[in-house]
Amino acid sequence: MSADVELQNVSVSFGNFYAAKNVSVKIEKGEFFSFLGPSGCGKTTLLRAISGFSDPSDGNILIGGQNMAGIGPNKRPTSLIFQNLALFPLMSVADNIAFSLEVRGSGKAERRKRADELLELVALSGQGDKKVHELSGGQRQRVAIARALAIEPEVLLLDEPLSALDLKLRQKMRTELREIQKRVGITFIYITHDQGEALTMSDRIAVMNQGELEQIGSCNSVYEAPNTPFVATFVGENNAFYGTISAVDGDMVNVSAIGNNFLAKAGDLGEGRKHTFKKNDEVIMFVRPESIFLKDQNNQADNIFTAAVKTVEFEGNLKNIYLSINEKQDVRCSVSNAVDTMDLSNSKNVELKFSSRDAIVLPVGPLAVD
Amino acid sequence: MNYFFNKNGPLISTYLLISIGFWIVFLIVIPQLYMLDLSFRPNIPPLLRGGPDDVYTLVHYKHFLFGSETSGESYNYVDIGVFLDTILTAILITLINLCFCYPIAFYIAKVASPNTARLLIVSLIIPFWINELLRSFALRILFAGEGFINNVLIKLGVIDTGINFIAMDVALYTGLNYAYILLMIFPLYNALETLDKNQLEAAEDLGSSMIRTHFRIVIPHAKAGIASGCTMVFMLTAGALATPVVLSSPNTFWFTQLIYQWFNMNDNWPRGAAYSIVLLSVSVVFVLLMMRIFKVKIGEIVR
Amino acid sequence: MKSQQALNILLGIYIFIFFAYLFGPLVIMSITAFNSAEFPSVTPWECFSLRWFNEGKIAYDGQHLAGLATDWRLHEGLITSLQIGLGVVLLSVPIGLSAALVLTQVHSRFRTAFYSISIMPVLFPGVIIGISTVVLWDRIATMGGGGFATELGRNGIFLTILAQTCFISTYCFLIFVARLQRFDQTQEEAALDLGASQTQVFFKILIPYLMPAIASSCVIAFLASFENYNTTVFSILSDQTLTTVIASKVRLGISPAISALALVIILITLAVTITYEILRRREDKKKKKLAAEALFVQTQDSRLLRNGKSTSTIPKSIFVIIFIIIICIFGFNKLVEKGLYGSVCIAATEQEKQSNFAEQLKLLQNNAEVAGQTSSENGEADEKKEYDDIFGDPNLFKNFGGFDAKEEEEQETSD
Repeated sequence: MSADVELQNVSVSFGNFYAAKNVSVKIEKGEFFSFLGPSGCGKTTLLRAISGFSDPSDGNILIGGQNMAGIGPNKRPTSLIFQNLALFPLMSVADNIAFSLEVRGSGKAERRKRADELLELVALSGQGDKKVHELSGGQRQRVAIARALAIEPEVLLLDEPLSALDLKLRQKMRTELREIQKRVGITFIYITHDQGEALTMSDRIAVMNQGELEQIGSCNSVYEAPNTPFVATFVGENNAFYGTISAVDGDMVNVSAIGNNFLAKAGDLGEGRKHTFKKNDEVIMFVRPESIFLKDQNNQADNIFTAAVKTVEFEGNLKNIYLSINEKQDVRCSVSNAVDTMDLSNSKNVELKFSSRDAIVLPVGPLAVD
Repeated sequence: MNYFFNKNGPLISTYLLISIGFWIVFLIVIPQLYMLDLSFRPNIPPLLRGGPDDVYTLVHYKHFLFGSETSGESYNYVDIGVFLDTILTAILITLINLCFCYPIAFYIAKVASPNTARLLIVSLIIPFWINELLRSFALRILFAGEGFINNVLIKLGVIDTGINFIAMDVALYTGLNYAYILLMIFPLYNALETLDKNQLEAAEDLGSSMIRTHFRIVIPHAKAGIASGCTMVFMLTAGALATPVVLSSPNTFWFTQLIYQWFNMNDNWPRGAAYSIVLLSVSVVFVLLMMRIFKVKIGEIVR
Repeated sequence: MKSQQALNILLGIYIFIFFAYLFGPLVIMSITAFNSAEFPSVTPWECFSLRWFNEGKIAYDGQHLAGLATDWRLHEGLITSLQIGLGVVLLSVPIGLSAALVLTQVHSRFRTAFYSISIMPVLFPGVIIGISTVVLWDRIATMGGGGFATELGRNGIFLTILAQTCFISTYCFLIFVARLQRFDQTQEEAALDLGASQTQVFFKILIPYLMPAIASSCVIAFLASFENYNTTVFSILSDQTLTTVIASKVRLGISPAISALALVIILITLAVTITYEILRRREDKKKKKLAAEALFVQTQDSRLLRNGKSTSTIPKSIFVIIFIIIICIFGFNKLVEKGLYGSVCIAATEQEKQSNFAEQLKLLQNNAEVAGQTSSENGEADEKKEYDDIFGDPNLFKNFGGFDAKEEEEQETSD
């Protein structure tokens, strides 16, 4: 069984402070949906409102079409996996998993049977009699998932459950989570501040900032067509060039920045619409580091500028080149490891290029600060 | 309130409210308030209570200050003397205890190895599981006229006849000191334990002498522990009854003994209540004073 | 560095003196329990004897100095103390628990106030808690007009339970607060989320987690109740607990039977502590082993080596236990040598004494006739006279309290 979740103008406030402001989103049945945002952006608040631990001060939460107002967390068809997992340390693994059956008064044999089934699902067969602290981090993770699935929830809520794991294990668990979701086929709502997690696992992503939704969309659209400067800088790396519109030609605009004139496309506004600009509008033009190339003699591009090399940073599969155009404007460019950077000495001026298709123009707004 | 019921469920909420209400209202607040009320009432037989004579009066507090009306003295030198004696002795004993316990607490917390520390702590606790009366009794055996110390001293030829330690109050003071050592050591130990050893090493490295290190680094760090230990020891010493019962000399009264006397021997409950209020006020003042001097919260004093 | 060494030696000496001061009196008191002399002392040593643990002594003048096993007042006091202890545990542990739970839930604005009220009873002098309980319940009893309330208000055991619960609840409260501080509240939420009701969360998650704190607060509450004197002496009214019996005994004349009692308590304490320590160490070891295993699994899993704390400990308590066993064997040998009650030796000294005091015996003849048919407390009254002589100060056991009057009344009624 799976259910859709709908948030209708949900606000959660603590006194004068709005942790979530007027959030509306419809999450489809069987979808892997992520809320992505920096810490303190209100995503956990939203999750707690969906699971029933806090009530929205405004708006409605519908699960499977039913309004959840006044229904406690123990009565909702949701199940939450906590950031710290919140496994019961005094119980065995099997008892942890079968806890939801125990509180419903199921018999011992039934509980054992269900626990074994779920342990198999998460590839932990035969570990049921261990205590929680005897397990490794990844195993605990799987126990938490099994425990949450034991009540056969219609919606599984995950609150950054991978944040405590080290890098390798985290990557492995991403794949596993996705597989488990496909197997059980229920709605997953995932909370994270790690864009990598969100991008690899989700069907759709909602990017949040300061309690408000910035953009909802597929991984692709969030990365390729950010609606706001915040999304552009929060999801993935981006170079921001502040400038003004010098000419408008349909979806394409001319931006004058850093003393140059660049051709770029107007950014998306969501729901298929584009931002519209007029001459002399203050804008930011975003170009991703991997879309900026070192210009060589034999190829041309629509946008070219010059910058001085500061440092070259080796990052395994690629290299980051940090350059500066003037005192105010730095730029970063990522090239494949294969590119020869030996002759890029310090302060050397180089020519860089990018395509107008890779440059997105958005109105001025706050950036994500690291 | 709604949130409270939601969080705990009806059954547990009821249990929580009833037990806390019972405790705070019925065991803590009402008895003290009633005692306060009683201390302003005249001492009259139960039958006359509520009658025309049962009016508020300051007679008991007056008695504490000025003595009975028939006595020729202008002040109640006896009772005030006992009172001041008790308070001053308690303060003195608290200070002695502090000096006495500080090295031990420091040793256990920072010098000893973890196993030794554990062993020492256990051996500190054991004597304090034994009744205060019995511990005082042990001291009485030592200090009695024909007790251990006198006999040993006589045998060694130091003295010819036994020293009356009890009449000299030596026994009482030692007993009070002995009784509450643990309550000084533990807060000190807890506070000192959190001190980072690196700080001591850094101070030594910077050329600070040991005594200076203690005064500039260790003692400021242990501030809350010192406040806590001093408060507990003072309270217990000033309010002690068991030890004075066993060890005080015939000529010395502890203030609690005075209260006891009004209650059980003279059967003057309102006066006993008034004297109790006096003791209680001193205790409260002392706690507030400690909080002020050491700038600690009440939560840091009782842990 | 020389000064450092000297300092360490000084510190060592200081610690030795400190612990000698702590244990010396208790050891000497314990030894006096085995001296057959009727005044508890080490010197002069009369005879090694266990009589103070058993029947006590029939003095040469015929009076009975009760031993530990034959003192019915101690036994009754003990039973009362046990009853009160049980009552206090049953009341104060749930109260302390609920107060600690509410503290975690109250709004932060009221938290300090609530905390202050909760710890106030510990800062009150014990006598005041006893007094206030008595005066309040005396009033209630008077108003009760002979009904159930009157009965309750004049029941010393009931009053003592209430009075002790007042401050012992705070001890429990503090124990629970300490444990709850380390409680992970998401566990409660996880249980709720998994469909448990609030009541189920309480019994299945919170209580199991608090079990160690519940156990230790039960023990602490019982011990605190058991050895309380300051509060009990007021609230117990006409009853007697173990401590008030001891107090009246100590005031009436110190007898080695009390040393014997103290020794028994010391031994029980030691036994409990040692058992606890052994269990704790065993638990520690088990935990360490499990942690090591988990670490192994983890390192296999993530191929990351982490620093594990795997310091091995030498159980020093073993030496202590061996030491105690040696002392016990030594003591048992002595016992066998001298005969169980040292009867031979005692007979000899008694003989000597009887001839020495033959004169006095005559003088005391009248006294003995009266005391002859009596029970133990008459003996004590006489005993008092005797010890007054020993101390050479008739005022030494001064009468400032009601004990003496009360006892005389009791004697009259029992006669």
